[in-house]
Amino acid sequence: MSQVFHDIEKKILETLQKVPNQTPEQLSKNTELSIDQIRRGIEWLRLKGFAIVTESEKITLSLGPNGLDSLKNGLPERKLINMLKDEPKTFEQIRSVLSGAGFNVAIANAKKNGWIKIEKDNSDSLVSIKEKPIETPEEKLLSFIGEKTVLQEEITNSLAMKILLSRPNYIIQTSEKLKNISLTDAALSLDTSISSSGAIDVEADVSSIFAARTHPLQDTIDEIREIFVNLGFSEIFGSMTQSSFWNFDALFTPQDHPARELQDTFYLEDMELKNPATASQIKNISSSHSKNWKYDWKLSESQKMVLRTHTTCVTIKHLAEQKPENARIFSLGRVFRNEKVSYKHLVEFNQIEGIVIGNNTTLRDLMGIQKEFYKKLGLTKIKFWPTFFPYTEPSLQTMVYNEKLGKWIELFGMGIFRPEVTKPLGIDKPVLAWGGGIERIAMLKYELDDVREFYNNNLSWLRSV
Amino acid sequence: MPVIELNISRIRKLVSGNVSRKQILDVLPFLGLDIESEDGDKIRIEYSPNRPDYSTEFGVALGLQGLLGIKKGIQKTSIKKKGKFAIKVDSSLTKIRPYVTGIIAKNGTLDGDDIQQLMWMQEDLHDGIGRKRKKSSIGLHDADKISFPLTYTTTSREHRFVPLNSNTEQTIDEILSNTEQGQNYGWVIENAKNIPIILDSKQNTISFPPIINSALTTVTSNTKNILIEVTGIDKDSVEDALSIVMSTLKMAGFEFEELKISGNKNSTPQLKDRTIIYDPKFTSEILGIDMSLSNMVACMKKCRLDASVKGKKIACIIPRYRFDIFGPMDLVEEIALGYGIANIEPKLSPSTTIGQKNDITIKTELIRKTAVGLGFLEALNASLTSKKILYNMTKRNSSEIISVLDSKSQEHTILRDSLLPGLLENLSKNIHESYPQKLFESGVVFSKGEPVHESINLAVIVAYKDTNYSELKAIMQSLLRTNFKINSKTKTSKNQELFVEGRHADIFVNEKKIGEIGEINTEILETFRIRTSVAGFEIKLSGLIFD
Repeated sequence: MSQVFHDIEKKILETLQKVPNQTPEQLSKNTELSIDQIRRGIEWLRLKGFAIVTESEKITLSLGPNGLDSLKNGLPERKLINMLKDEPKTFEQIRSVLSGAGFNVAIANAKKNGWIKIEKDNSDSLVSIKEKPIETPEEKLLSFIGEKTVLQEEITNSLAMKILLSRPNYIIQTSEKLKNISLTDAALSLDTSISSSGAIDVEADVSSIFAARTHPLQDTIDEIREIFVNLGFSEIFGSMTQSSFWNFDALFTPQDHPARELQDTFYLEDMELKNPATASQIKNISSSHSKNWKYDWKLSESQKMVLRTHTTCVTIKHLAEQKPENARIFSLGRVFRNEKVSYKHLVEFNQIEGIVIGNNTTLRDLMGIQKEFYKKLGLTKIKFWPTFFPYTEPSLQTMVYNEKLGKWIELFGMGIFRPEVTKPLGIDKPVLAWGGGIERIAMLKYELDDVREFYNNNLSWLRSV
Repeated sequence: MPVIELNISRIRKLVSGNVSRKQILDVLPFLGLDIESEDGDKIRIEYSPNRPDYSTEFGVALGLQGLLGIKKGIQKTSIKKKGKFAIKVDSSLTKIRPYVTGIIAKNGTLDGDDIQQLMWMQEDLHDGIGRKRKKSSIGLHDADKISFPLTYTTTSREHRFVPLNSNTEQTIDEILSNTEQGQNYGWVIENAKNIPIILDSKQNTISFPPIINSALTTVTSNTKNILIEVTGIDKDSVEDALSIVMSTLKMAGFEFEELKISGNKNSTPQLKDRTIIYDPKFTSEILGIDMSLSNMVACMKKCRLDASVKGKKIACIIPRYRFDIFGPMDLVEEIALGYGIANIEPKLSPSTTIGQKNDITIKTELIRKTAVGLGFLEALNASLTSKKILYNMTKRNSSEIISVLDSKSQEHTILRDSLLPGLLENLSKNIHESYPQKLFESGVVFSKGEPVHESINLAVIVAYKDTNYSELKAIMQSLLRTNFKINSKTKTSKNQELFVEGRHADIFVNEKKIGEIGEINTEILETFRIRTSVAGFEIKLSGLIFD
């Protein structure tokens, strides 16, 4: 324990070194600190082993209503004596002045004191003074207390006190717990001036403050974006609301495909885009679908507005418009699926998707980019499995080994755009595409097993993660 | 993606060649089959919807044989043409369900597990390529219970027969309302007066497509010969479905005899293999692998295709059931699978482009950094939110609402047009956490216009007992001044439900309104159960710090 004292502690110590044994109230008066500061300081000193707190009981006495009346007019037995000063009186006469309980009390006490005698008559009793009444100890006590509040220990005649306490409403006795502060031997000899001025207890606990910060999921998004940029990819930005044409038709998803149903995709109520694409794009996509999927392609289906189910619609539209010869581009943002929300599914999550067009566009190059991407994320144990996407061929998925979970986890997907996707849009070179959901990577990073946590905005999590 | 259950010991028997359990588990992913779970002898795998031939143990075993090198090339299937079996199609089906195809599978045996596999396959084919039985639906029947020839015709809703898994005669209407199949797939025939039906020569009902078969022809473990019929609305797709069933039954040990089909533009299915001439340059162009022609041929054969070198090209023969193959790119994938994805070496070529973040991202990052510097914690909320938070609890005007159809979640039905309601909801979920609470969010908001207008907003909210309008105005002005040097003004605005009267304003930059600021109305705070003072603002970043 370092001997560093707060100013409050110092003042208390110094006062107690001069006058040992003080109550908190006395300390407050002597140090000019508030009673709250004194209480706190005492508690600190007690915990440090410098102050001893003993508790005692303080009993005080004051007069009750009967006591105060008696102080002014005398006790009932004194009132009786005063009545009898001139001549004896009958019970009836006395009762006319001292009524009810007062009569009985006065007669009983005056008799007990030996002040009166009572002679029985035919019909009444006659009371007369027997002896000159002197001041009783009870009367002395009454005038001692007077209108003050006195400590019980100041009262010398405890019998008189007992008697008066036994008579109702004469004396009010109150008791109060008292704290008494004294110093330990070590503290008595302490030199409080030794501790340098302004020093504090550097080992004491302090209250928490929380850093302002960006959202952990946003940090992961930004980190992944940065890796894409480092790999030579440029970011493009596209709308979350898209026509079915770019979200589905342009990506070779037939119009009766289950993924296009209301139960998988969010359609915007009463919203359609009259001209989702140029006339030639519409014509080419329509004939590609009719030829390959063998059905009647309908423009009206492609005009329906949806919340994009992937960011691929943004990249394919960009390719169709810009027709770059050599490019690495990516699109990042929220995508939507009409799913039941659970610990592993959200209706809205972030996806990133990059494409490569130009030189070095083989599957091996695509796998090389993947490997480098995961390496930058610190994931080195990876392998590739074949998979299926409607708009790429061949298609692969990356499996990443997670040491903590002890298993392979499916991360990003990749593939080469099908000619059925690129040709109708006037793109005649192979286009590599790769990407996936970001929340899944963020879950691994923050060791979460419920993806909903990212959107709960739970301050206890955000402030501690 | 569809999931099926397989039995490893049955697969091992079908694959033959004494392969181990481990070999099978190792190779499955390289067929594109993800192992979902393992439970002793049973495993559950997920297959891609473009490969419905993997919907049974038989189909999976056929694929495994190839990659394991046990049997390669096309599974040879011949169809005997004896003319004993036939079906005639009536013209009344033209506008209802015009096409039927089929075949007779002979001299096989099925045990209970085999039948179960076939039932599951049928369901998967119905859901996938059958588009919930609308496009095509399959019926399997014990052919020995049928008197050929068959007629595919229409009947009335009063027609009666004993449906599968029943022992009482029911009318079409009763079947539609009483059976599970009727309830699930009745929508396909809607309220049509004429109902498709397959009858045999004795006028026994064989099938009521696409709903249910008759009990008469139930396939059991005693069945030796099977009639497969597929009906639908498209000739190619019914033959697609038939080809999958045939390939599966071939693997199960059956032989085939033709079912002659005629009438109303129907014809006997040819089920012929296709030939695609493959240009080997694609292998190096697409995969980046230099490979000899004979090696490519070997890879294709491992994928149960046939191939041979024809001069400088490869003639590749595709069995009928591989209708997922459209052209050369699909063959490139077959070569990659036959080569083994695990054998392909990743290659890192240097990038010839320089990466660049979008301007929107750069500017948004800048303003987010300032917000953090001002002591704010970043929140992220869904852009698809609820009417309750967006309008009801905040009493905001909901006339420009943008809804999605048929959301599975009540919390996600409306596109947000503002960020502040979401931040209020965040505060209400954190009333037990220490104050002050300071949050910000940047994100897309939506409004109506051609057909939807999207812009990026930034909202800031502060909650603790002493917060007020002036504090927020100072924060707002600092956010816009830092880095962007934007000077903003506040002007008295007309009454708004969200804010306390007399303590809110419109935010202006160069005489253009860019947002709103104010102390949040105490009644609204009560609906969110927030028991402290809250003030906030929201500004539109689009058009202000980027275009």
